[in-house]
Amino acid sequence: MIRIEQLNLAVDTFALSNISLHVKPQEYFVLLGPTGSGKTLLIECLCGLNPIDSGRICIDGVDVTPLEPRSRGIGYVPQDYALFPHKTVRNNIGFGLENRRAARTSIRREVDRLMGQLGVNHLAERFPQKLSGGEKQRVALARALVLEPRVLLLDEPVSALDEQTRDSLCRQLKQLQKSTHTTTVHVCHNFAEMLVVADRVGIVWQGRIVQVGTPQEVLQRPSSAQVARFVQAGNLLGARAAADGQWLRLACHGGVEFRAARQDVQTAAGEVVVMVRPENIQLASARPENPPPGTTVLEGSVREVVDLGSLVKLNVACGAAVELLVSLGKREYNSSRIAAGDHVSLAVAPEDVHVMQKP
Amino acid sequence: MNPSLFSEPRTTAPVTGLHGRLFAASMLAFVGLFVLGLLALFIADVSYINIQAVAEVLRAPEIRAALWLSAWTSAVTVAIGLLFAVPMGYALSRYRFPGHAVVDSIVDLPIILPPLVVGLSLLVFFQTDVGRWIEATGMKFVFQCKGIVLCQVLVSASFGIRAVKLTFDGIDPRIEHVAMTLGCTRAGAFFRVALPMARRGIIVGGILIWTRAFGIFGPLMVFVGAVRFRTEVLPTTIYLEQSVGRIEVALAVAILMLVLAAVALVAVRIVGLGQR
Repeated sequence: MIRIEQLNLAVDTFALSNISLHVKPQEYFVLLGPTGSGKTLLIECLCGLNPIDSGRICIDGVDVTPLEPRSRGIGYVPQDYALFPHKTVRNNIGFGLENRRAARTSIRREVDRLMGQLGVNHLAERFPQKLSGGEKQRVALARALVLEPRVLLLDEPVSALDEQTRDSLCRQLKQLQKSTHTTTVHVCHNFAEMLVVADRVGIVWQGRIVQVGTPQEVLQRPSSAQVARFVQAGNLLGARAAADGQWLRLACHGGVEFRAARQDVQTAAGEVVVMVRPENIQLASARPENPPPGTTVLEGSVREVVDLGSLVKLNVACGAAVELLVSLGKREYNSSRIAAGDHVSLAVAPEDVHVMQKP
Repeated sequence: MNPSLFSEPRTTAPVTGLHGRLFAASMLAFVGLFVLGLLALFIADVSYINIQAVAEVLRAPEIRAALWLSAWTSAVTVAIGLLFAVPMGYALSRYRFPGHAVVDSIVDLPIILPPLVVGLSLLVFFQTDVGRWIEATGMKFVFQCKGIVLCQVLVSASFGIRAVKLTFDGIDPRIEHVAMTLGCTRAGAFFRVALPMARRGIIVGGILIWTRAFGIFGPLMVFVGAVRFRTEVLPTTIYLEQSVGRIEVALAVAILMLVLAAVALVAVRIVGLGQR
């Protein structure tokens, strides 16, 4: 649906470098990256607002690189929504149809339909200054959808909202995309937001796309330590890798040793970074008797327990200078009867140990 | 949305508590002092003139001619000034080009220069080959009504350009970007979105141009002279009357200018800006 080939663009001291990406038809694709990584610049290239230095952008098989924004068949919702302040909600939404010189009756009908679909009919005659953040977002969405675009581009569409509204609107965005079947590219820097909406995600880092995959792939198998940190991997440890039969032995700095399955690991030996997600560590008050082959079993003592409501996070000191973060569900934690200061046993399956090359 | 200097509605600060009231009172004291100072001048002028002077001002054909000349030349100046101010303000706000800072500063020069310098420079310019050629084509400015407009535009347009540029600076370019994804060309986005949003700033720019143009005197004396029924505008009348010792008539003209300016400014604020 959207195919970006070898896109390059330099703006002052920042550059988008060698970006290639394929977004499938009817997919909800999220571009995720920290502030200043180039996400907005990339989406503006898709819109045609920034002429690119080299490369190609195709939408629906058509090379749109030389086309003006109005000829690309896109709907665009920028940060802060950019509603027209001198027009009412109705006129904001109908703006695109007015430009197409559609008949007044059909503009009215289409605007009414969209306002109904997005639940903003009661705001029709209001001006944007009188709308809440969530209302503005819905109006901006209706305005972008009015021309039935082939692609919907959303630039941080919920980042200006409070957490509760953000969650609810993210779910609505996902439902809307499912019902309209519009291929959607959504830019955000919030990991939780991405998990709610994304079919697939592209991680943008310093002007490059460093990883593309499903949310779970990015979560469990980040391509680099930088990505791992960004997706809140929890436990990242420097280690020295060495082959050990069917396993890779990972001697971490600080005296802790993990085992990973060799076929899952590209790096055979040398300095690496080990990632173990907090939710993938099994915690018990006693050492497991017959752990499955390859399981890493560690001993440690609980330093700190942080109750986050539905989740409980524990800092467990293992070895001389290693502290591991363990995450448990509230019910699981309550039944374990573990408290700060307790001696505990940690078990990690080899497939849950992810190894990355050292940067 | 970014707040714009002239496009956002004004907000009021809440006044609560003793400290709040004292602070507001100290701020408002400066307003009161300034306005009272101006009112004192106005009252002194009014008390100096007599009914005969007012009657003479209203009856004298040369003063009526000067009033009419002031009115239409300043109106034409506003039109020409805005014709330049809107595209220039937009270009200086939206586009970056080599020498942008230099051009931006040159635009401000007439604000800093004494207006008399503009009149002198124009007089010198029309003695050059280019100036003589322009006059030879039939476009005569020196000691002509057209010269009044030229002087007024050169002296006052910068105020309008600055006001309009500040307004466009305050309008988020992304709003135009969205319009371009909704079927507008770049020009369409300007005319359908940016221009209506800049309405208040453009009106303020027009007011600034008019107030400056209506009151200039020095460059006109140098460039177009003070010929009765021909190049005499109201500020020139004041000068001519006071130079022959008719101070009360000069003050009556000054009061007429003040009243006209106040009526025009209040009308534009109410009709154009929706202020009360």
